[in-house]
Amino acid sequence: MKIQVRTDSLARVEGEGGFLIDIRDGAIVKLHVRVLEAPRFFESFLRGRCYSDVMDFTARVCGICPVAYQMSSVHAIEKIFGITASEPIRRLRRLMYCGEWIESHALHVYLLNGPDFYGIESAWTSKEYGEIAKKGLRFKKLGNDILAILGGRPIHPVSVRVGGFFKVPHKKSLTLILPDLEKAYNESVAAVRWASTLPFTENTLDAECVSLSHPSEYPMNEGNVVSNSGMNMDFERFYECIEEYQVEYSTALHSGIRREGLIIPYIVGSLSRLNLNHEMLPAEIKNVIRESGISLPLKNSQMSVIARCIEIAYSFHEAMRLIKAYEEPERPYVECEPQPGRAVWITEAPRGMLIHRFELDERGYVRSCSIIPPTSQNLGNIEKDVYHFVQNNVGKQKEYIRKETEKIIRSYDPCISCSTHTVVLK
Amino acid sequence: MRKPRIGVFKFTSCDGCQLSILNLEEDLLKILEFFDLAYFREATDLPLKGQFDIGIVEGSISTDRQRRDVVEMREKVRCLVTIGACATAGGLQALRNWANITDFKERVYPSPDLVSALSTSTPVSENVYVDYELWGCPINNDALSETLVSLLIGKRPAIPIYSLCMDCKVKGVPCILVSQGEPCLGPITRTGCGVLCPSMNRPCYGCFGPREGANIDSLLSHFEEMGLSRKNTLLLLDKMNTYAYRKVSIEDTG
Repeated sequence: MKIQVRTDSLARVEGEGGFLIDIRDGAIVKLHVRVLEAPRFFESFLRGRCYSDVMDFTARVCGICPVAYQMSSVHAIEKIFGITASEPIRRLRRLMYCGEWIESHALHVYLLNGPDFYGIESAWTSKEYGEIAKKGLRFKKLGNDILAILGGRPIHPVSVRVGGFFKVPHKKSLTLILPDLEKAYNESVAAVRWASTLPFTENTLDAECVSLSHPSEYPMNEGNVVSNSGMNMDFERFYECIEEYQVEYSTALHSGIRREGLIIPYIVGSLSRLNLNHEMLPAEIKNVIRESGISLPLKNSQMSVIARCIEIAYSFHEAMRLIKAYEEPERPYVECEPQPGRAVWITEAPRGMLIHRFELDERGYVRSCSIIPPTSQNLGNIEKDVYHFVQNNVGKQKEYIRKETEKIIRSYDPCISCSTHTVVLK
Repeated sequence: MRKPRIGVFKFTSCDGCQLSILNLEEDLLKILEFFDLAYFREATDLPLKGQFDIGIVEGSISTDRQRRDVVEMREKVRCLVTIGACATAGGLQALRNWANITDFKERVYPSPDLVSALSTSTPVSENVYVDYELWGCPINNDALSETLVSLLIGKRPAIPIYSLCMDCKVKGVPCILVSQGEPCLGPITRTGCGVLCPSMNRPCYGCFGPREGANIDSLLSHFEEMGLSRKNTLLLLDKMNTYAYRKVSIEDTG
């Protein structure tokens, strides 16, 4: 008996994607998670452009996480030029990331993923859920407010430049939102408890979790690449270990870590970050995790919603800390001299590690570049995760398998528009 | 009264303009009182069914399939509104219009033959009739609200089409071009962003595309007089609205 389970246009995700599963006589014979998004060829048209254009271009890969693209690009270019941004600039960039984590996570938790746990088709389908969604929209708005103060607007902000910012905000414009942040922080702590009580479908998976790790803070813009199997590498070495491969059913390249002759799929994003870095969270948030009965590490991709809620709370907490300590720097940026060279930089986009590699010529024009977005890195593991689930539920109704598979894929917060822009240079 | 049905459609894009709909935040819930958001894959599972009073379209047309889909979509929609630089001007990906698509594919994919893409990325209006166009990368949320409300009450949306310079003057932002000698696209660019870049001491880079009657060549010659090379001057136009700026420039001189 042959059954085909498929969805061509996955709802409540960013971009266009779907999946196809063929089951014959109780065995999976084909399983494809497909990216159907049209390719945009960023790496091709970035060639020959000046370094100062790069942040405006790469931001346009993704309307949900433009800051991540700007951050990975700007740090890679600064590394090539041999400049380090000053401490106040470093903190402002971290604050900007807090805004983006809040905005992106709140969108996913409350509008995209949340309805799955209530069996409804959208965040505004039921009155009961409407109240929950309203809270999420308030969080999202505050995340956007932080971005607007620092970057002019939340989608494709305009302030980031090599060496710092075009303009930095006055302390007062930031302290003005402190009371709102305080209130939202308290609500976000309650939301961690809410997330821990959601109904999760049993699907335990031992995955290779990969994220940045930093000796003194929860990772955002800096660190080393680590995993739960003991890997610890700098950016360049990790980049050399990634194997990217093309599959005929997808416009996104898949990637895995090359190890002992195998290509190992891995998972990046909030779940990996939390599993590998929860020790770095402030005591207050650690207490909330403990009191909510959340046991770490999380081993079910559907529980990423818990990790996202914890990171929302952390981002509010961190944003308040950064704003209170903020002192306007004397100069918004340091001058730079273009230098030739190449560099890899990785930052933690809301959905996980975003890898940028740039090679510039002596005038600072792009000779070549590659962008490996989190979703491309997750695709291999998403397929493994879905395979694992379908195998254990192969006798169940087709509609059940379809719905649950959609939920698993959605729990990764796939950013399908981004995932098509990967390049292979090796 | 029956609520007007809205469908949100996506072609090649970054999803940022669709996100602007969700970024209306509290206003979004109010809008939902007046409209039936009947198709919006980014936010709901509702399948594509029936006809729509308003179609909101994000993204440019860049594959064969999209060329067919956009015609099918047009047949379902009474009033079509494009949102953003991709749908209105072809987007950043329209830079391929001036390049060789085979080269582009080979640079990104190890097996370029498996990738299906047209050699051009075009605005929706080059493929089907469009009723209203919202410019911007991303669009301005107020312009979106204004358009929806106008359609609801049957008036023409009031969205300014004059140059960014006008708003710099209104806001009292010192002129980047005159006072700093930086190549600012303000004089030829539609207003709409709220003069973000000049307020941050940086020149406008053209998110909102060419304004009505933009004199592009004159501004470019001025940039050359300032010392920019011809090549770098042209690169200033080659961003999210490259196709629109270049078209205006060609039509002017032709």
